[in-house]
Amino acid sequence: MKRKEFLGRLIGEVSNFLLEGNPLRLVVSLHQEDDGAHISFFDDKPRSEEEIQRIYNSLNPPKNRPELAEYYGLMAGSDMAWDARLKLIGWQIKHASVDNSDSGLRIDLWLGSDAFNPENFTLNKKSKK
Amino acid sequence: MQRSEKLLYLLMTLLIALLFIAGMVLEGPITVISKVISLQKESARLINDFTLYGVGTSLFNAATVGTLGLVLVFFAAVSLSGPTLSCVLTMMGFAFFGNTLLNCIPIILGVWLASKLARKTFGSYSLIALFGTALGPLVTYIMFSLGLPYPLSIPLGLLIGIGAGFILPAVAGSMLQLHQGYNLYNVGFSCGFIGLFAANLLLAANKMQSISVTWNTAYSLPLILLVPLFCAVLIITALIVDKPRQSLKGLVAIQKLTGRLPFDFFDTGYFGGTLLNIGLLGLTYWAYVLLVGGSINGPVIGGIFTIMAFGGFGKTLKNTIPVVLGVILSTLVFGKSLTAPGPLLAALFATTLAPIAGQFGIVAGLLAGFIHLIMVEVTANWHAGLDLYNNGFAGGLTASLFIAILQWYKTNRPKEDFTT
Repeated sequence: MKRKEFLGRLIGEVSNFLLEGNPLRLVVSLHQEDDGAHISFFDDKPRSEEEIQRIYNSLNPPKNRPELAEYYGLMAGSDMAWDARLKLIGWQIKHASVDNSDSGLRIDLWLGSDAFNPENFTLNKKSKK
Repeated sequence: MQRSEKLLYLLMTLLIALLFIAGMVLEGPITVISKVISLQKESARLINDFTLYGVGTSLFNAATVGTLGLVLVFFAAVSLSGPTLSCVLTMMGFAFFGNTLLNCIPIILGVWLASKLARKTFGSYSLIALFGTALGPLVTYIMFSLGLPYPLSIPLGLLIGIGAGFILPAVAGSMLQLHQGYNLYNVGFSCGFIGLFAANLLLAANKMQSISVTWNTAYSLPLILLVPLFCAVLIITALIVDKPRQSLKGLVAIQKLTGRLPFDFFDTGYFGGTLLNIGLLGLTYWAYVLLVGGSINGPVIGGIFTIMAFGGFGKTLKNTIPVVLGVILSTLVFGKSLTAPGPLLAALFATTLAPIAGQFGIVAGLLAGFIHLIMVEVTANWHAGLDLYNNGFAGGLTASLFIAILQWYKTNRPKEDFTT
């Protein structure tokens, strides 16, 4: 999938999820490099530990599912009318971290090629879930 | 490989071995092999009941197609779980009335080529490749029914099959957007779309013959026992592997899922509960066919196998029953017979719309089933029976209509608008 479409789907789906909470503020930050990308989402709605764990589990499935990621992953971010399904993007990314920032929820998505190592990013060095 | 996956491989191998053995016992090894070879040349368009060529032949053919599916899943390096299990069981079901090794392989090759072009692994497109075998009749039709000499028609059929498989990933991806995962047989929907163009192209060339129905009404004990035996194995395995209480807890939890694509029920952690769901679905709809007095033949076995196939990937007792009731209601309202091929198969295959009942409730499920029967009775003619998953095609149209209306309603709620 081309970068633009791929990133658009991911941003669309997570934005859909965050907008369901009707936030007053929502920030999306993208940082691209040759072999990968990092997308951060911030809103102003802090979540409970239980909610954070649920979001984390959806974004970090226990095993790779290429058969679902490539095919059903196309539904990600394509429709804002229905409930967001974070699992659709969980299969397509390398890793996600979820925590409460100073003002609300923060979600970080790390994506890239097989050689991609999120540790090489200089941004976001603080401890992640 | 996880223990649950090993168990699924074991269960599927057992089923396939049982079908191989039953086929050889019923008709003799040499006879059954020669009949399965000649079956490759038979018309595979809807509805051609392969049990009419011999019950053993149809069982053996299902085993060969099942082996192909299982081997591909293994070598594609994707896990045997809800989605892949649904592919293999569905292919086996349709091998009772359409799928053969010969007509499956070109489509799969085409999808494999598409995966190479897109620089993806075959595993990424494995579901599309396996479900894409619904277009198998296109291959067989070109090869053996066009009246061309075999040295010309066989390579032509092969090429067209590869071509159809090649464009399938593109079409399947777009079709998903139409119904947003509320039609479980999305590749069937996509194959119907491709079949529509293929059939009309052949029609324009004056090479398309009208469809016919061959339907076995003879009593066959092996066919009648096949589903309950397999279901019993699944249920016993569930109760042994996960303990009865845990399995029942899992079964109850699974009933609460909507079933909207893509939801792998094995991911819930309830392995036993999912097997129980599959087994109970099979028994329930097998009992339904017997209750209404329908024949247990190739297409009906195909229908029940397909319901079971999605018992780990979208269908539950709770979300299928309203849709089936909708088909029954529609059948009775329009004065049709519940045992006629169309309504009987529609009742089984309409469960493709189960996620609508799962998400929007019983009334929506009833309505979807009601409309589905009306559609499915005509759609086979549109693609001239070239798409084996005709109910997936009709279901896709019904689901798209529902979703379009619901989407419009959801996006036009005035109370959630900005105030002036």
